[in-house]
This record gives sequence, structure tokens and C-alpha cells, in this order.
Amino acid sequence: MAKLVSDDLRLIVESPRKIERAVREDKRWPGWEVVVGIEVHAQVKSRRKLFSDALTSKPGEKPNSFVTCYDAALPGTLPSSLASAFDRKHYFYSDLPAGYQITQRYVPFAKGGHLDLSSSCDNLRVGITQIQLEQDTAKSIFDARRGITQVDLNRAGSGLVEIVSEPDMRSPEEAGNYVRTLQAMLRAVGASDGNMELGSLRCDVNVSVNKHGHPLGTRCEIKNLNSVKFMMIAITSEVFRHIDLLERGQTVPQETRGFDEVKAETFKLRSKEDSPDYRYIPDPNLPPLLLSPVYFQEYIDRVRRSMPELPRETRARLMSMGLTEQEAEVLMAVDAGREVRFDGEPAKGAVQYFDCLAQGRSAKAAVNWMIHELLGQLAARKETFSDNPVSVEQMGELVDMVQNGEMTGKSGKALLRHMVTSRSTASPSILARELGLLAISDDDGSLLKNWCLEAIEALPEEVQKVRDGNIKVMNRIMGKVMQLSGGRVKAGDVTQMLEVLLRKS
Amino acid sequence: MTLAVKDNICTASLPTTCSSAMLAGYTSPFDATVVELLRDEGAQIIGKANCDEFGMGSLNVNSIHGPVVNPFQPTDAYDVPLMAHEPRSAGGSSGGSAASVAARLCTAALGTDTGGSVRLPASYCGVVGLKPSYGLISRWGVVSFADSLDCVGVLARSVDTVKEVFDVISVYDARDPTAASPELRKRASSTAEPCLPKLFSSNTLDGLRIGVPQEYFPLELEPSITSSLRTIIRNLKDAGATIRPVSLPATQYALSAYYVIASAEASSNLARFDGIQYGLRVPPPAGASRSKPSNVYAHSRSSGFGREVRKRILLGTYALTADAFDNYFLQAQRVRAYIKADFNRVFRHPCVHLAHPESCLSADGVDVLLHPSAIRTAPRLAEKRECDTSSIDEYLQDVMTVPASLAGLPALSVPAGLGEDGWPVGMSVVGQWGTDQLVLQVGRVIEGIR
Repeated sequence: MAKLVSDDLRLIVESPRKIERAVREDKRWPGWEVVVGIEVHAQVKSRRKLFSDALTSKPGEKPNSFVTCYDAALPGTLPSSLASAFDRKHYFYSDLPAGYQITQRYVPFAKGGHLDLSSSCDNLRVGITQIQLEQDTAKSIFDARRGITQVDLNRAGSGLVEIVSEPDMRSPEEAGNYVRTLQAMLRAVGASDGNMELGSLRCDVNVSVNKHGHPLGTRCEIKNLNSVKFMMIAITSEVFRHIDLLERGQTVPQETRGFDEVKAETFKLRSKEDSPDYRYIPDPNLPPLLLSPVYFQEYIDRVRRSMPELPRETRARLMSMGLTEQEAEVLMAVDAGREVRFDGEPAKGAVQYFDCLAQGRSAKAAVNWMIHELLGQLAARKETFSDNPVSVEQMGELVDMVQNGEMTGKSGKALLRHMVTSRSTASPSILARELGLLAISDDDGSLLKNWCLEAIEALPEEVQKVRDGNIKVMNRIMGKVMQLSGGRVKAGDVTQMLEVLLRKS
Repeated sequence: MTLAVKDNICTASLPTTCSSAMLAGYTSPFDATVVELLRDEGAQIIGKANCDEFGMGSLNVNSIHGPVVNPFQPTDAYDVPLMAHEPRSAGGSSGGSAASVAARLCTAALGTDTGGSVRLPASYCGVVGLKPSYGLISRWGVVSFADSLDCVGVLARSVDTVKEVFDVISVYDARDPTAASPELRKRASSTAEPCLPKLFSSNTLDGLRIGVPQEYFPLELEPSITSSLRTIIRNLKDAGATIRPVSLPATQYALSAYYVIASAEASSNLARFDGIQYGLRVPPPAGASRSKPSNVYAHSRSSGFGREVRKRILLGTYALTADAFDNYFLQAQRVRAYIKADFNRVFRHPCVHLAHPESCLSADGVDVLLHPSAIRTAPRLAEKRECDTSSIDEYLQDVMTVPASLAGLPALSVPAGLGEDGWPVGMSVVGQWGTDQLVLQVGRVIEGIR
């Protein structure tokens, strides 16, 4: 039982902070400044629900099969939790069995942070007002034919994280950039898979407009946007609606609005006067958890040490290893497609694969083989990186063999194609031998000489042309040598040998 | 051991109605932890005990099962049949639990105590009632009235029986998020342990300091109760205890703070009774608005909840609205903090919840407090009907019991003789958090004085 400090419960209501930025005229709305703040709700990628032992479910599972007595709000049940300080938000709705949602209003999980947007030319930093944990609701499905609402409690009580930004964005594009960056961050730390199509990440956006140099306009909130594209369209349409009202001498009423994806415009849900009083109360079952200072420090240190690398750090590290920005972006884009596992378990992605491959090898060679050859082979088969059958060990051995000259680059590529197709787990050296892809041991160059002579004999016309000075035709003779050798000779050696032989005769 | 269980404690084998039309016929799919623990020890549950609806009331008259009649027989009326008595209240809200013990229907009974609901009926029925320290007994399976105050309590005819039951159910349960950790329990009992062995070995109270809080003598206190207290004090002194007047100045605000906090939490906890998944469902009449879920729920909730429950839900809902929150709910929380600080100032034993428990100790602090459990003996049931228009009187019954609830302290009501009218009087022993064994032991001495 922790001491309740009542004065902690008084909310300090500050007027929205607005960062001043250099006036940048937007051709779509000259003279106007757009101000956007975003609330992101992301499902926590956790095996269990926030306050019960029930497992979390995926959409499409059998309704009401992931439910404990607590999730169904049966009398006499209590939440189970090791987390600290939650509040109840009350409203009556069929998808809320307890009549309240457990959230964090008074003492949120975290306060006053920021997010640096990736791939932003201005290095834009968006302030994060607060991050809070809360329960997801159940799902109510209205059956219009039968005129009834059905309730599925599978999702009830799953964990959600709500991330509230400051109104720091100035265009629909910045808003899109913010959500994408946040999504990558959530995935990188394993907090959420951030999948907007499946609804594991949804956004509410606050939009207002004001003339340059003027104070903030009245904001409207657009609820429940479930794709970055729709969010940007919704903001654009809302901006034009506000400007239109203001230019006609009217005011913008403070409202909560929805978004019609078909008409690509927002519509009124409720005005400020109708906004419900949620009667927040600190949850008496989930009081603040008091940790001893020693334990607390140790805990924080442990979490800090186990923090995965954030996208921005990964990019910087990859570039410091000698990768170009573009190569780093490709690796990270592929990495972003990896599975986010439960409860922050590390998952294997493209970056981790690269890191292992580059261990003790040239980073440049590793990234070339990965991006151009491996990803290329997979893409040709319409497969993604998660389908990659080639282990880091196999890939590493293959790269080494090419680097050491045991195999030519061409043979290496052929071998990789074979490995991707056959999904063989055998070592590349064994496979290369089986397939006759090993470079020829030809210390005195006699083999090479024989192939070259053979080629010269087979292509008398071409030989004549080369002798007449048409050097380009040399390539055809080289091609013949390659064909005869099965690609196991180096192009440089062939050129040298041919030059010698052609000069001689 | 035979046992009665208050009807707001879940049992899988018997319905759990909370004395409400809302849950008439509701049977829980699980047993409360306390029920499980006692059944494992061989207790036989003889039935569910009547109570005030969802634990809200002090006279056990707010119940779909009707009022509980106090089974006590005054000595001058032994030859008058029970039905011929002018019926008196058994007290509430655990009236059925107290009455079943007093009428010898069972060895012990489980009740719940949010603001006095075990101690008041114990006092009125002439039995022993313990409200343990908050967090010692699991609330899993107890239908929440006000989570920050609700405690499972024990009623029996002797302190020893109460202790026997308490010892079985006072164990840590991970299913209760407010359960006191085993480590905290150990720390608290070790602070009071030094004075226990001596108390156990003999009935002497040498070295024990008992405080009598001067704020616990309101104008409404019946004079005969004060004389019972004097008798007890005299006897305790004779047994070697030091009696000391103490002051708990925040007590005057306790009742108002209690009703704000308890009602606010109740309005939240009772939001789940909407007639959708379980419980009473009254469909909206033809033509009624169905535009919002709350419009549909209102019909079930208005018919399912009794008058007192509806009143408290409205009161609590108001206290939590954005406009009233600061002046009511936060103010009440501040009062609660003052009340805790008051208690911590007078006790010899440190409050183990504090970061620096020893910092606020007074050298001459007391081991326990002693005060009347109620301002009067059991009221006549008819009186309740007369004053139906105002329940302030009923709320006043709790004035002596709510401070310990707000502070989460162990409090035991022990029979202490009879009042002028020949009906039982109870005295309360209150200790620092976690010193329940000390409180029980002092109660045992008082029990022996009679």
C-alpha cells in the first residue's frame, strides 16, 4: 500500500506550447501556417494482457476465447500487475465491460521526451508530451441484419501504449514522417509491431491553422486514422476546411471529427460542449509502486543496458563501418520488415545478419553480397528476407571463397543462386566442389593457355578482326574461353594470356 | 468449524447476490481466496449471510432479502419470545454475519468492512468483530465497494475463534494487487512483537500503553457507553496498563472524507453492472431512446440498484466530475493523509509503509487505542423507518469506525458489557498497521474483564 500523494493528482494544464519555426511558405496554402499534433495508440507486443493472465489474441481468432473472469469484469475480480500508478477513465460502452478503461492520466509512464525524425532534411525534432500505458477495449460488431451488437472480449484488456506529441509538426508530410519514424522506433525496441493495416497502430491528429506570425488557431481532433496515407489526406482536407471557414469570416469550432476515406474529407463527431466527462480517478487497486532507490537505480541500469539499438544509431553505425547512406537505408528498410516478437525478444533481421556477416570480413564485400546478390536472388523469386534459407555461416564461407580466389565472383553468384533455390544447408565449399565451381588450380597457366588456344582456333574470323585492330571483338574470344573453362578463370588472366598468344602468332 | 459467508464474497457453490436485485440469482464461477483457504482447513460453509446492498449501509436494512433482525435477547426479556420483541437492527453492513454468529447458527462468519461494516454489527449484536490491517487478507473474490477501504473481516463469539480464522486467511495472495508483501508483514509484526510474549504468558498488561482519543466522544454518544468505557479503563489499569489521553485532531473531518472517497470508488466499481453480460437486464420500454449505450443501461441500473446504492453512485459520480474533483475527491484524499499522520503521531510502533518509519515516532507513543465502537446500542428497526427522509443519522453510526478504515489500521470490536437499555456495547481496540496480533491480544484481555 503506497502513500497517495494527493497533490500529484492535480493536473497542470498548460496552454499548448508552440515552437516557432522559420516561415516556410507552402504553395498549397500561401500565408497560412499549419500546426499538427498527433496521438498514436500502438498495441503492445506482449504475450499477456496488461492486467490479467489471458494471452493476447490476433485478429480473426475465435471470439471470446482469450478471456479471463477479470477481462469480462465479473464481480469480485481484481487486476494483477507489477506496474505502477494507473487511473480509471469512465464511460458506458458495450466494448468496455467494467464501465471504465484503465489508463494513466495523472502519473504517465514517461513525460517530456522527443523524437528526431529520420530522413528529415531539417533535422526536425518533435516533442513528446507523454507516454502512457492503457487497456485496449473489446470489439463490438454491429449486425445490421439482425439489429444486434455482438461483443468479442478477446482484445479487452490487451496493452496499448499511447504516445502524445507536442504540436510540433507544420505539414501533412511532417506528420507522415513523424508516424513512420515512431513506427520504426516502436519496432526497433520491440514495443509494438506498429502494423496500421491490422490496426495495431492508430492515430488521432490535432490540426489547426493560423496566419504566419499569429497565435495558434482553434484545433480539431480527427479520430482513428489507420494509415499514414489517409492521415495525410485527412490533415490536408482539414486544413482546407479551416482556411475556407476563416476566409469566409467564420470561426473554427473546436470539434472531434471522423474521416471518410471514400469522400476524402472529415466529418463532425461531436463538439467540445458534448465532450464527455470521463471522471478520472486514480485506480485504488493499482496505486504507485514504491521502489527502494538502490533497487530503482539497478533496475534502470539493467533496462538501459538491454535497450536495443535505435534506428538513428543503427544508421550512424552502419555508415561508420563504410556503408553508403543508400546501402544503410536498404539494409534498414529490409530490417524493418522483420517480425516483432513478444515481450521484446530480439528477432533476427537484415541488420543483424549483416553484422554477423561483416564480422572479420570487409563490410563493403558483406553489404555488396547481401544487397546485390542475396536480396536480388530472393527478390527474383518474389521472396522476402524472412524467407532467406542461406545461413550467415554459409554466406560468410561463400564470400571468403570468392575473396580468397578459391572461386570466381561469377561462380560465387551461381552457387548462391543454387543455395537459394535448393535451400541446401550444406557448406558452400562442398557444394562448389559438387557443382564444379571451384577455381582451377593452374599455377603454371597451362590450362588457361590450352583454353585460349582452343578459343583462338575456334574463332578464326574474330581473331583476324582483333589483329586488324578491332579490339572490341576481343570480348567474344574471352567469352569463348570462359565458356570452355566453365567460368573458373579470372577475366584479367584471360586478357593477359590472349594478348600474349595473339601477339605471338 | 461452521461458517457463514457475507453475500458479497464469491462462492462457486452458492449464489452471490450482494443483497441486490441487480445480482439476484448470480452465481460466481469462482470461490474467493478466503473461502478457498477456510474450506481447505475443513470449514463447512452453512450459507450466505444477508448484508446491506453491496455493503452500503450501517443498519442492514438496504437489502432485497429484507432487514436483519438483531438476535440478542436482553436478560430482562428471556421469557419473551423473539418475535414478540420490538425488533432491533443487527447493524450493517455485515448484519447477517454478526447475527448468525450471535444466534449460534455457526462458529464464525466472514464479513467485509469498508467503514465499520464488521465492527458496528459486532458491537450491536454483542460479538467480536475484527477488521484487519488493509492488505493482509486477500480481496480476490470480494465484490468491490471501495477498493482502497474494503477489508475482509471476521466475526465470532470469542477473540480466540476470531484469531483462529484470521490466522488461516491472513496470507499473501498474488491475485490481490493491494496485498501486503510477506516481507512487509514480517517487518510490521516484528515491530510489535517485543510486547507480545509478556501479554500471552499472563493476563498482565505491564508496560502496555493504551491511548484514549479525546475526539471519540461526540455529542451523540450515549452516556451509558461512556460508563462502560470507564469500567474497562479501570480494569485495564488494574491489570497494569498505562492509560493515556491522546488527540487525533483530523477525526472531525473523517466522516465526510470517508463518504466522498467510498462513494467515488463505488460509482466506479458499480459501473460494470450494466445488464449486458450478467445480472438483471431490464430492456428499454418501447419508444425509449437507444441512441447511446448509457440510455439502454439506465433501465437495468435504475431498477437493479436500491435507493441507497443509487444515491451513493450519484454522490460519487458527482465527486469525480471535472468541476468537483478538486474540492471533493482531492480534498478528501488530503484529509485521509492527515488522518494517517494523526495515527502515526500517537503510536509507539512505526508505520512500515513509510520510507523512513522511525522518523515520526513519539517516545511516549501508545501501543493501541481504545474507544467505543458505536455511539449507541442497536437502534430499533422502526426508528430507521421514521428517519427515512434523512440518512445522516445512519451515516453518523460510522463516525467512530471510519478513521481506522481510512488509515487501513487493524480494529477489533469486543463486547464490553451492556448499555442502560440492556443491549450490548462494544469497545474498539485499534493498532498500528500490521499489529493485528497485538490488537487481538489486548482484545482478549478486555474480553476477560467482563
